[in-house]
Amino acid sequence: MTGPGARRCALAVAVWLLALPAGMAKAADPNPLELAVKAAFIYKFQFYVSWPPRAYTAPDSPFKLCIVGDDPFGNLIDQAVSGQRVGGRTIAVARLSSVSVDDHCQMLYLGTEDPRLARQELSAVDGQPVLTITDAISDDSAKGMINFVIADDRVRFEIDDAAAARDGLPISSKLLSVALSVRPLP
Amino acid sequence: MMRRWNKSNRWNKSNLWGATPAIAMSTAILVLIAGLAIAYSGAQSNSQRQIDRATVQSQILASTVTAALAFNDRMAAEEYVSALRSDPEILNAAVYDAGGRKFADFSRLKELPVPERLAVSGTKIESNRVTIVTPVAEGPAHLGSVYLRATIDSPAQRLRRYGTIGMLSTMAAIVVAVLGIAHLTLTKANQDLERQSLELAAANQRLLQQIDEREKVEAALRQAQKMEAIGHLTGGVAHDFNNLLQIILASLDMLQRRSMHWNLAANAMRDFRRYLEAATVGGERAASLTRQLLAFARRQPLEPTKVDVNRLVAGMSELLRRTLGETIAVETVLAGGLWSTFADANQLESALVNLAVNARDAMAEGGRLTIETANSSLDENYVRTHDDLEPGQYVMIAVSDTGSGMTREVIAQAFEPFFTTKDIGRGTGLGLSQVYGFVKQSGGHIKIYSEPDRGTTVKLYLPRLVVASDEVQATGPEKQIPKGTRTETILVVEDEDEVRAFSSEMLRELGYGVMEAADGLAALNIIESVPSIQLLFTDIGLPNGLNGRQLAEEALKRRPELKVLFTSGYARHAVAHSGRLDAGVMLLGKPFTYGALAEKVRQVLNA
Repeated sequence: MTGPGARRCALAVAVWLLALPAGMAKAADPNPLELAVKAAFIYKFQFYVSWPPRAYTAPDSPFKLCIVGDDPFGNLIDQAVSGQRVGGRTIAVARLSSVSVDDHCQMLYLGTEDPRLARQELSAVDGQPVLTITDAISDDSAKGMINFVIADDRVRFEIDDAAAARDGLPISSKLLSVALSVRPLP
Repeated sequence: MMRRWNKSNRWNKSNLWGATPAIAMSTAILVLIAGLAIAYSGAQSNSQRQIDRATVQSQILASTVTAALAFNDRMAAEEYVSALRSDPEILNAAVYDAGGRKFADFSRLKELPVPERLAVSGTKIESNRVTIVTPVAEGPAHLGSVYLRATIDSPAQRLRRYGTIGMLSTMAAIVVAVLGIAHLTLTKANQDLERQSLELAAANQRLLQQIDEREKVEAALRQAQKMEAIGHLTGGVAHDFNNLLQIILASLDMLQRRSMHWNLAANAMRDFRRYLEAATVGGERAASLTRQLLAFARRQPLEPTKVDVNRLVAGMSELLRRTLGETIAVETVLAGGLWSTFADANQLESALVNLAVNARDAMAEGGRLTIETANSSLDENYVRTHDDLEPGQYVMIAVSDTGSGMTREVIAQAFEPFFTTKDIGRGTGLGLSQVYGFVKQSGGHIKIYSEPDRGTTVKLYLPRLVVASDEVQATGPEKQIPKGTRTETILVVEDEDEVRAFSSEMLRELGYGVMEAADGLAALNIIESVPSIQLLFTDIGLPNGLNGRQLAEEALKRRPELKVLFTSGYARHAVAHSGRLDAGVMLLGKPFTYGALAEKVRQVLNA
């Protein structure tokens, strides 16, 4: 039982270390439209993904959207999900410094652009039915199942369909059809 | 049974045949309605199918385009929209975002673009296109709308496509209707033909009737002509006989009168009387036969008077009973209010006696004789088939017996003189001839109704007397022969010397003064020169251009108070119209007896 506690400490240190460059980046690219679009996208992704029952702790537990690290959206996410439901479940937005299996997130947004940090967080929920979303990660090994990119001044996203399937999350072909690129099933 | 079956079958057939036009018309209307209904529903279902198809395409687009809309992927949306370009019926396809802004679109025609902003929703059908707006949603989120515009068949196209069916069914209906009408026409033509054939048959029937009628008329005419010819022949012979009988009987008369003064031996006297009697009887019978012959020839002088037939028949009953004997009952059925007729009563009596005698001979075993009288009107219809007969009112006298009757052939010959069915020596064959001649001469009609073993009825029709004529009552026979005096001078005009001689002889015997003339001119001379002449006794048939009647007219011009008595073998000439004497004209028929002459001369002189 000491393992997880030590790792949480390590993560906290990492987040702290990353805080500065993240804040710099945020200051350099404060495009509110881009953020609003991303917030809306994050909300809409759940339309095209199916979660297995084991993803939830109880039949009435809420759909948990976890934002780890810097939260660039402010209340944009809260506005987007306000009053909405996913499969009859209410939506809860959790802002975490670090994520673990015990957080029972259904969707995980990683605000960091640091591949190392991202890899670390992703590995924490590896094998769990958690839809992982990364933002502007260029290193393939650090990308979540969905990775936002900016292409032609538009917010687009890449999908790693293989990773999602491996963790028990089938993604609708509709969503795949609008993705910038898809890493298909093996 | 067979016939009834045929009849009912024919009835069924004709019934079905008659109903065919109605069936054809109903069928035509049904075909038309069915065709139009099929065309209409076809057109409707096709356009509905087109609308449904467009709707489905719109829904497919709406469901596939959700992610593109959700994630603002215009290219993906345009790909989806453009995919519909391959469907030529789709004119426009467009995707609008949740705010109604155009997101992606394609338009087949430049002149028909999609709206920039979408305001409407739902389905809108125009004449030849349909516009469908389908909402795009994912879960509870409204993402936008899909706009789809597709062509559907225009009414003209639909008409073109389904009008063919309509036209075909209309043509079928017309064909059926034409058949129905043709059938109707045919039926009508058949009926016309049938009617014409019936009319033809009727016309033929009429023609046959007319031919039949004409044959009857011709037969009647032939019979009449035959009777007329026989009448001429017998009349001529009888006339000559009459003159001879006149001489014979007058001679016998004179001989008898003179012989009273003879002084013969009783034996000789008895023989003489006996032979004289026999000769007289024979002569009188001959005279009687001659009269009947003349009667048949309608050349007997008739003295018609007003006759009450009922009274005449009633008066004859006793005579008839005696004539017919005890085995035959005599019955009379006399009509009340019977009209009078104008006929010669003596001849009518003779006729009835003749008929009664015939009836008796037909009823050898006994039976019943009925004499019936009635008023009768003979109409044009009846008269047409009978020769020489006027339509009008007649007094009918029917004499019926219950005897052996006659065959048709016998009836046809019954009136001919000397025709008889009786045994030789029993009949003269002149009885019915007399009746016939008398009736005809009286302007009447006679008809025999008879069948073998069914008895015989002879009907006499005598013309009704309408205008009351002078009563010419026959005086009863006087037993005493009236004589004359020397001062009463009579001029006897007769072309036949012997007849004139006997006439004069008889008149002198009667005590009259007598002068003689052989012709009319000589007679006129005497009348002018001898004023004592009171009576002109003249034969009607005179030679040398002046007949008895003309002589009488001339004489009366000179001597208006002169009395005239005609004599004639027959009264056909001059004196009589149609053989009947004018009222008031006195005539003594030849041959006449001493008594008859005495009576008639006295009657005329006293008048």
